[in-house]
Order: sequence, then C-alpha cells, then structure tokens
Amino acid sequence: MQRDKFFKEINNLTHPNEKLIKTHCSYCGMQCGMNLRVNTATNKIIGVEPRYDWPVTVGKMCPKGVTAYQQTNHKDRLLKPLIRDDASLKGTKEGFREASWEEVYDLIAVKFQQLQAEYGKDSLSVFSGVSMTNEKCYLTGKFARVALGTRYIDYNGRFCMSSAAGGFLRSFGVDRGSTLPWTDIHETDCLFIAGSNTSECHPTSMFRVWSVQERGGYLIVADPRETPLARRADVHLDLKPGTDLALANGILHLLIEQGYADQAFIRQHTNGFEETKELVKAFTPDYTSELTGVSVEKIIRAAEIYGKAPNAIVMFARGIEQQHKGVDNVSAYVNLALVTGKIGRPKAGVATFTGQGNGQGGREHGQKADLLPGYRKITNPKHVEEVCEVWGITPEEMPQAGVSAYEMFELMEQKTIRGLYLLCSNPAVSAPHLNFVRRALKNLDFMVCADFYLSESAEFADVILPSVTWSEDEGTVTNLEGRIIKINKAQEPIGESKPDWQMQVELAERLGKGKYFSHLQTAKDVAEEFRRASKGGYADYYGATWDKIDKQDGVFWPCKDETDTGTPHMFLDKKFYHEDGRAKICALPYRPPAEEPDETYPLRLTTGRVVYHYLSGNQTRRIPFLHDMCPEPYVEVHPETASQYHIEHEERVRLFTRRGESVYRVKITEAIRKDTVFVPYHFGHEQSINLLTIDALDPISRMPEFKACAAQIEKLEQKKVQ
Amino acid sequence: MKKRLYLELENCIGCRSCLAACTQCGGHEERNRNYVYDVNPLVNRQTMPLMCLHCVNPACARSCPAQAIQVHETGAVLSALVEKCIGCQNCTVACPYGIPKFDTEQNLMYKCDLCIDRTKDGIPPMCASVCPSSTLQWLTDEEIDEKKKQYHLDNGKWVSSMPHLEGETNVKINLPGILQGVTKLF
Ligand code: SF4
Ligand code: SF4
Ligand code: SF4
Repeated sequence: MQRDKFFKEINNLTHPNEKLIKTHCSYCGMQCGMNLRVNTATNKIIGVEPRYDWPVTVGKMCPKGVTAYQQTNHKDRLLKPLIRDDASLKGTKEGFREASWEEVYDLIAVKFQQLQAEYGKDSLSVFSGVSMTNEKCYLTGKFARVALGTRYIDYNGRFCMSSAAGGFLRSFGVDRGSTLPWTDIHETDCLFIAGSNTSECHPTSMFRVWSVQERGGYLIVADPRETPLARRADVHLDLKPGTDLALANGILHLLIEQGYADQAFIRQHTNGFEETKELVKAFTPDYTSELTGVSVEKIIRAAEIYGKAPNAIVMFARGIEQQHKGVDNVSAYVNLALVTGKIGRPKAGVATFTGQGNGQGGREHGQKADLLPGYRKITNPKHVEEVCEVWGITPEEMPQAGVSAYEMFELMEQKTIRGLYLLCSNPAVSAPHLNFVRRALKNLDFMVCADFYLSESAEFADVILPSVTWSEDEGTVTNLEGRIIKINKAQEPIGESKPDWQMQVELAERLGKGKYFSHLQTAKDVAEEFRRASKGGYADYYGATWDKIDKQDGVFWPCKDETDTGTPHMFLDKKFYHEDGRAKICALPYRPPAEEPDETYPLRLTTGRVVYHYLSGNQTRRIPFLHDMCPEPYVEVHPETASQYHIEHEERVRLFTRRGESVYRVKITEAIRKDTVFVPYHFGHEQSINLLTIDALDPISRMPEFKACAAQIEKLEQKKVQ
Repeated sequence: MKKRLYLELENCIGCRSCLAACTQCGGHEERNRNYVYDVNPLVNRQTMPLMCLHCVNPACARSCPAQAIQVHETGAVLSALVEKCIGCQNCTVACPYGIPKFDTEQNLMYKCDLCIDRTKDGIPPMCASVCPSSTLQWLTDEEIDEKKKQYHLDNGKWVSSMPHLEGETNVKINLPGILQGVTKLF
C-alpha cells in the first residue's frame, strides 16, 4: 500500500527447518511489524526476523520488540490454573496449588454466584487492559455485562489513553488517536511534540522524526527532561511538570496575535474561537514563562515556527495526558491545529502516541465503564438497543454505566465491590497511590486473575488462570494510527494455557449464560460478532475483514462495508463529528497541578518509561537482555539539586511524598530541570514509584496525575563502619 | 548492487536495539558483538554505537599469529575461526577501536562478522535492520555519495571514514554535527 522513501525491497533470511510467521510486536502502540521464526520440527517460536515490508516500521524494532519472542516459552509461564485456599497469604506469592480447569471454573462460578446472591449483581467487577486483541477487548465487555451482569467494568486505559480520548471527543467529536497515517510524519515541515519521550517510548517513530530535520524542517519539543528527542530539538520547551496547559495557551495566544490564525477555516469549520481568543489573551509570553518556567524567547520562537510552517503535526503523549487536567491539555494542543487550520489534509494534523499495543482499539469497543462496541454510549438508549440486538439481550438487562478504574478500587475499599476478575493488567504496579490500591485488592472477598506470568497483582488473587501470550492466538489490534492490523498465531498455547476469550466463553457457560457465548468457538467467531457489533458506531470496523487487512497492509477505521478501503486521513472533507460538522476550539482556564511543591515537599516528581521496559514490567523484567540493561529503578536528579542534598551519583536515597516512600539509586544528569526528579514506573513491590504518586483524577477522563506531585529527598543514614 | 553499513552518529537514541538484534544472528550464539556508549552520561543523553568498521587492511587480522581472522570476499572481517584461534588476544589490542571481544571460558575471540550469513546475500545486517533512528543504515555506494553531497564533505568533517580514522574502511561513518550543514525550509 503506502510505499514511501524508507521502503526497500528486501528478502528475508530463512533458515532450513524454519518458517516465518508475520505478525506485530506484543508491546506498544507502534505495533512494529515482525516475523516470528518457528522451528518446523518442534513447532516452537525460536526467534525474530525483521518484517521489512511492513509500511509503518519497515523492519525496525526497539529492543523490546527484538526480544519479545522470548516471552512465549519463558520458564516463568503459568502452565496450569492455580488456587490459593489460604486467604491470609494474599499479597504474597505463597500458597498456590495447581488445579484443573474444571475445578477453577466450578470454584469461580460458585463464589461469583454466592457474592451476587448476597450482595447484588454489582458486587462483581472486571478490570481489564488493552494489551490484547480487539476481539478479546470486545468479548470482555460482553462478558462483564452479559455473563456477570455487572455494571462495574473498566480498564487500564484510564491510566493511559483516556485523556487523549476525552480531548479528541470534545474537540473533534470523535476519538481516533491520529488524524493521519504515520507515513506522513517525515514529510511535514514542523513537528510539535509535547510530553512524549518518543525516543524511548515509541522509538520506531524516530527515523521519521529525524527525517523532518534532515529535510530542513523543525522539531519543537515540550518536556521537563532533555530526552534523546529533546536533545536535538530546534526548540526545547523545558517546562515545569504539570504546566502544559499554560504553555499551550501561551503559544495559541501568540499564534493569534502574530496573525497565524486561519480565519476562513475558523469561520467555516469551528466553534468557540472568540471565547478562546479572549481567554488566552492573559497568557502573554511573560505570564506563560512565569507559570511554566520556560524562557520568553523559546515560547516566542516555538510559536513563530509552528505558525510559519506550511504543514505541521502536533503530537503528544502521556506527559500532557496523565494530569488532572489531561483532557484540557489535549484540547489545548488540538486548538493550535484548529486555529491555524493545520488539519484535515495530508502532512498536517494531530496525533497522540498511543501507549499500549491496542490502546486505540481496546478503548473503543466496550471495556470502558460507559462504552459499548463501536464507541457507543451505554447511556444512549438507541446505542444500547443496537448492541442488545447483536448480543441477544433486552435493553432492561443491560447494566448501567459503572465507574472508572481508580474509582473501582475505592469501591473495593468500601466493600461495594467484593469480587474481581482481573485480566491483561497489573494495577498493583501501574495504579497511583499503591498503598491504597494494594489495600483495596487485599480487601476483596474473591479475586480471579488471568495472566501468563505471576504478576504483582496476581499475588492478591484467590484463583489464577493461565492465559496465552500474543503469539499463541490470533486477532486484530488497532495501532496508534488507527490502522487495524492482524496478529497471527505462531505457536500452540503451551501447557494448559488458554486465550482469554476462550476462558470467558467457558466461564459464561458455567454461569448459565451459554446461549450468549457458546457459538464463539474460535477467535475468528469472536471477530465476526465483533465486526457486527461495531457496525454503525463511530468506530465502525464492519468492513475491516481479516482478508482486507492482509491485502491492504491494514485498514484504517472507520471502514463501513466490503467496498470501503478505510480512512487513513481524517477530516479531509473538513467535516468533524459534532452534530453541526464543526470542530470545537476550547477556552480552557489554567489550573496548576493538584499538589504543588511547598516547604516540606519542595521537588516536583514526574514518572515515565525507559526504552527497555513496557508498562508494569511484568513481561519485560523477565527478559534477560532487557533486565540487564535496566534491572532496577533510579531517580534522576540535576547536579545542582544533588549538591544541595549532598547526594552523589549512584548513592541510594529515600524519596517520599505524602502518600508513600521508596529508596532509589541516584542518577545525576543535567538533562532534567533543577526543580524536578524523575523515576521510571516499571517496577514492583517496594520499588514501585506509584507508591508515591497522587490519586488526583481528571474530572472528565478520570486519569490520575502520574506526571506531577510534590516530593522530597532524604539522605539515608550512613551505615556505621565496623 | 553492493551495499555497505553506513553510520550517522548524530541520530543515535541509545536504545541498544542494535545490541539486542546482534544476538539474533544465526551464527552469533546469542552474544552481541557491538557497543553503544553514553558519551557524557552525567550531562546529557547523547549516545553512540561503536561498530566494527571492517577495515580494508584490518589490524586485527594482521596481528593474528594463527590466521584465525579471515576477510570475506565482501570485505567483511570475520570472527575468529574456532579451530584456529589460539586465544592470544593480540587482535583485541591491535584493533584501534577495541572491537574484538574475548570469551575467556572458550578461550576464543569473537567479533562482528557483518552478519555474513545475511550480507553475503545482500540482506542487511540485524543491527542496521532494526535501528529505529537511522543511525545504522545499509546503503549502496550511490546512496552514500548522495549523503556526501547532502552533508558537504568538503568541510572535511562529515561523511568521512578518512581522515579521522586509521585507514580505509568498508563501513562509512558520518560524524555528529550533520544538521549544521542543513538549509532550513523556512
Ligand atoms: S515496543 Fe513498540 S517500538 Fe518497540 S518494537 Fe514493540 S511495537 Fe515497536
Ligand atoms: S539501535 Fe541505533 S539508535 Fe539504538 S543504540 Fe543502536 S545505533 Fe543507537
Ligand atoms: S553487523 Fe551483525 S554481527 Fe556486526 S554488529 Fe551488526 S548485528 Fe552484530
């Protein structure tokens, strides 16, 4: 399909007694193409070979992708279901015994039915994730509503993509993470990247990013740290964590003042300009500089470059989204494109760097507390009817909207929720304010966890169900472009492990709901039902058949029918998805982070990823190469700050906030603001930085503010020399 | 069409995917054979790969008393032959860039062989295949000539294996600083 200058005709190396299965990486939203090498004698995955013909990534992979295949036959794989009879051991790895699938299904059915008989339907909950196929995500939503009949289902996208989703919905009326395909990126004239450490979190975007500069285009980066991306930026806006909204408002003000606003576009295709113009007037360069800590010159220069650029793409990620005003930050950055009219054509638009492999597709099809397949609303009677039709239930049987991921823990603490079915997620590492969350998990009457390794969260479970890795099942995933792609099966499930969709079908049968599930015998069966369920929704996948995905190198949604080839570029007709067809320019008053530094907690703590690990690290910490490269967390401190605390490189220090504390090795670097410290979040137990982070939630997306809270460092007592 | 490994050091993001990929080569026994350095770790995030440059007249091979280091017809300077290497480690000292690694258990030198099982058939080496930042590229001589024009070799600094290196090399290097020569679009 799209063949750009990076594409080269290259044959793969094939070894005797081996076949190559084309698929994609298991990890981030880039979904890099890869071939898994399978030994044809043992039928086991033994390695990786680049997939040069994948148009987005042309063979490139980060070290996670290169080693991803090592997950499948890893020694830590869970091979049998496990039961723990002694609840007092919750929160440890101890006390599990192997059991048959029959036994665990029986146990789960009995416990779930008891809880619901005693405490009502909604005493059960499902906590899911989006590092799995659309088919699994779809079925999980149906499993919660139809098999369990509970309103409480939500997912880890609340810690990842929900602010981007909220912002796009408000600004455009539709939430597709990128308005253009990734193959446009290197052809634009200016990239404005805010709150994304692209070089570590989406490394295979980098050859396109550098290519913009190679052509003489510009790179503007907003980040409190000088990441490898920011190091080469034409302008690095080194802002204080949590002040992005002020920066975006300040830039918007300059764009308008300097005459870069596209009045015709604004008039014909948007609402809200005048109000927004008034609001951002206050954000003069001086005031913006005062709030953000970025110099006036840099703010002016950034606005000038973006304003002048014939084409520009605004891109952002969790840096701006994981805040208690994450949705506002997203809309504020979208404003830049709407006011200047740099959107709705090739090489110009906005995009978020989706974090999880299926962060896009997984949020569209009904795992979110208030959503149903096809991005339908559970609060909209017409939408409910459409989905009931496919599911074969009556609208009366459809549960109400539930609550967001973090709020489910609050309900567990209060004993409103008493049972949990957890899959594809590790909130005992990835949720904020972990002392609270771990307490909530311990407080459950009964918890089931499906995973392929014993995660930190599985340590709280009564029953563990062994699921499969991505390489032992098939289905579709929607990558960060909004392109639906196909994951292929390279190996049979090892041990007694099963794909999540199969467990849910079998469990539904135990719960007496077989008639809604028993027809789903293969991943393909689920795919067919899922396509029908999405039909007519905003995120319409009906036309995205597996055949078409294969022929076209993926299909961009919306794709409504057999003849539709999909929608690589959004809004080419300048029609947005609000009723009146206009986009919304949003007037967004500035709010500081929920917790500002003070005398007791004078530092700003921010968190993020390293290139070697993915999310909670449950997978990547087990891969030898990745573990060797980054075996433990650390705290990045500026040398001047370090000298104030009399701490040195490699020294261990106590880092603490109002919520928790931990001990970290110090990494001294000038590549961070003096008022800010950074810790990567991929580590478990007492090493989790989320023991310290704050549970301040965005009012719309319910996204916690992982990116900014107030912290303090303390030197550890020197051990007495004997 | 003959292709070469070409390095654009400015681009490196330090992801070490090249190291991970090196272990994936058929004949590599899961050991990587290249290096990535933090240039100034306490100051910034600049990193650089250090790869075998496959010298036209390789010091490692010249220094080997047992003729264990063969030069392939493609120009690739191969890893030591197991049956010939006597473990004297002359090569590790002789190489001006410290490329050959030594396995003390096996008493055997091992080094980058330019993924000879791939490159002999024109398939790019693993490191250049995966490198996400275009630091490591696999290019024809014509493409490298284009790079020379683009980055003004006449300043004597960019796209040069000579004069900054010890001798002529099969791998070509572009030193950091290339962007200084780029004309901005607007
Ligand atoms: S983790 Fe992301 S960038 Fe790395 S190989 Fe996998 S999909 Fe590509
Ligand atoms: S793969 Fe490329 S960018 Fe990554 S460390 Fe190696 S040379 Fe640098
Ligand atoms: S060319 Fe092959 S052997 Fe040499 S460093 Fe690259 S991956 Fe390793």
